[in-house]
Amino acid sequence: MIIKKRLATGALGLLAALACGLISPPAAMAGEPAPDSPKVELVLDVSGSMRARDVDGDTRMAAAKQAFNEVLDATPEEVRLGIRTLGANYPGKDRKAGCQDSERLYPVGQVDRTEAKAAVATLRPTGWTPIGLALRGASKDLSGGEGTRRIVLITDGEDSCGLPDPCDVARELAAQGTHLVVDTLGLTLDRKVREQLSCIAEATGGTYTAIQHRDQLSSRIKQLVRRSADTPVETPTPVRGAAQCAKAPYLGSGLYSDRESFGEHRWYRMRVAPGQELRASASVAMDRTVDPDYGVLVRAVTPGGRELVRGSEAGSGRTDVISSGLRYPVADVDDDEDETARTVCVELSQSFSAPASVKRAPGLPVELAVDVVGNDDPPADVAAFGLGRGWVLLGVLTVGGLLVGLLWGWLARWRVTVWRSN
Amino acid sequence: MRALRTLGAALTLCAAAWLTAAAPAAADGKDGTDGKSGTEAPTEAGTSFRTATELKPGQRATAAASTGDYLYWVFPAAAGQVPEVEAELKLPDASSRHGSATWQLDVYDGLRRHQPCASGTPSRRAAQQDRTVTVSCTLRQVRSWSERWANDPLQGAYYVRLTVVDLPAEDLGLPIDAEVEASVRDAGGAHADGGDMTPLNPVLRAGTAPGTDSEPTGDASSDSADSSDSSDSSDSSDSSDDKGGDIPHAVAEPEDGWGSGWWSDRWVWTVIGAALAALAGVGGYTLTRGPRSPGRPQNGTGSDI
Repeated sequence: MIIKKRLATGALGLLAALACGLISPPAAMAGEPAPDSPKVELVLDVSGSMRARDVDGDTRMAAAKQAFNEVLDATPEEVRLGIRTLGANYPGKDRKAGCQDSERLYPVGQVDRTEAKAAVATLRPTGWTPIGLALRGASKDLSGGEGTRRIVLITDGEDSCGLPDPCDVARELAAQGTHLVVDTLGLTLDRKVREQLSCIAEATGGTYTAIQHRDQLSSRIKQLVRRSADTPVETPTPVRGAAQCAKAPYLGSGLYSDRESFGEHRWYRMRVAPGQELRASASVAMDRTVDPDYGVLVRAVTPGGRELVRGSEAGSGRTDVISSGLRYPVADVDDDEDETARTVCVELSQSFSAPASVKRAPGLPVELAVDVVGNDDPPADVAAFGLGRGWVLLGVLTVGGLLVGLLWGWLARWRVTVWRSN
Repeated sequence: MRALRTLGAALTLCAAAWLTAAAPAAADGKDGTDGKSGTEAPTEAGTSFRTATELKPGQRATAAASTGDYLYWVFPAAAGQVPEVEAELKLPDASSRHGSATWQLDVYDGLRRHQPCASGTPSRRAAQQDRTVTVSCTLRQVRSWSERWANDPLQGAYYVRLTVVDLPAEDLGLPIDAEVEASVRDAGGAHADGGDMTPLNPVLRAGTAPGTDSEPTGDASSDSADSSDSSDSSDSSDSSDDKGGDIPHAVAEPEDGWGSGWWSDRWVWTVIGAALAALAGVGGYTLTRGPRSPGRPQNGTGSDI
């Protein structure tokens, strides 16, 4: 009897728990952020040089620790944060061992502030600076999920391991289609550090900041973490344009990303029904050193090869992207005509070139924005509703009215005369 | 009894879990709306077209950034308006800089086409001792319709990009503060034009993954699927123009709508013109018979017409 009762109790409890699970809010169960919530990993250099006392009279390490504590306190709930170190463990002189020294200090997830702070407090400036390795490790830590990914790299020295070149690593990671952004913060104004960090930032569409003061460090990291939370979750869909229209992928309305090498042409196709308008914009990002003059050309072409419309842009000098766009309205048809959607091919080409020393692969990052909207309404008259305006109009109307009045009056007099004489 | 009590306890727990889980979500939602559509001016800038911060005309947006960052904002402009953007940068201390730098303001339309500045100083060279630098750009008047080959500004979103284009390499990464204000002024009835089109307001959502329909086989099925898909999207974007919609766009529709509306002072001019023509007509008519009417006894002729 008792067993039976217990069974019933258990069953009911189970049922309630199940129901609870089923009807729980979809946003997130307590303590578990949504799978597409943004992820940020702070990568901190703990190499020996962090002992230098040049940030507001304190060591670089002390400034970084204080900044981390402030950042951990200010991290928004929806951000999943992790911490990775480089050069924290191996104090020796052996380059090989020193260049394998990158460790995940705190796993990417919802932050337990006390735990994370305790972990940061244990850090002592120790070893080498394997930035490339740390970036790869951080990218692995951030893998999985659909949200945006951001690495914030805080370092005071250039990579002391040589290979892999951190800049190439960053470009390679960005090309994996995971929408990874690396923001870099340099704790010195050294030329080599600046060049390397700005190269890493440029390769991934991130930012580079030179840190000179303690409050600047914490406010910048906080800003970057907050930016992750504010960035839209919708990341462009990766797509691969074809070398010719006949093999091009069909794109619907939305954002897409692709890669295009120097001198390459990429084709995409869209379906546009009569009465609709195709809008396509493309921006090609400059993620490496390129020659100073460049351009981009977007063409809409029929499958037969006739050009419909084009958008082009050229520029020179420092830039992040070069972009252009086009719109192509397909005229509405009468009922008896062919109402099936037309295929429009869009060709994207750019005229970037680079010095011979620059790596060609992966291609330059491309972002495409495609939209199909209702057709436009060509005006019957250039002016609004064909209305007139201005003193000339008034003069013409007045003189015209006067002439008509006179004419009418004379006509009337002539008719009266004719009638009288009869 | 015990079973019931367990059930009750489980349900209470369940409710508690619900509340705790729902609370942060609700808070998030509130935060989100505060950040997005609040009336306060934005204090952050975006870093690309996709992440550009929305800016309402008349608001003064601020952003703390590093020299070399590309700062993006986006604002709406309706047909018949002339958009104007002005940005002021507070540069780092002259002692930490190494020379003069050129700052540039670029404006792009909703199709990411670069828009020329009709007036203003979109690019300015700041000397090393300058504390601030101001750049501005006034666009051409926004048209309500244009030929598809034209680069005319059309109603919709306008992207503002602020960056340094030429600087001593040593100055990269130094902190700056930027302030940006976009304003729109009405071009007036003299420029009220006809035509209408869906605003150039880009959608901010991931594209549908390209299907397997790249092969010509099974064209019919994929055709119908795709065309229905695209017509759906166009329908929804159309309707979202009316009520704000659920598809995220780069900017929200301005309060007065995207078009210049039916009203313009052309109506006044045209109606005055009509009235003048009528008066002049009556005047002309009376002129032809006026001088004789006092002398003649019988006045019936006028009504005989």
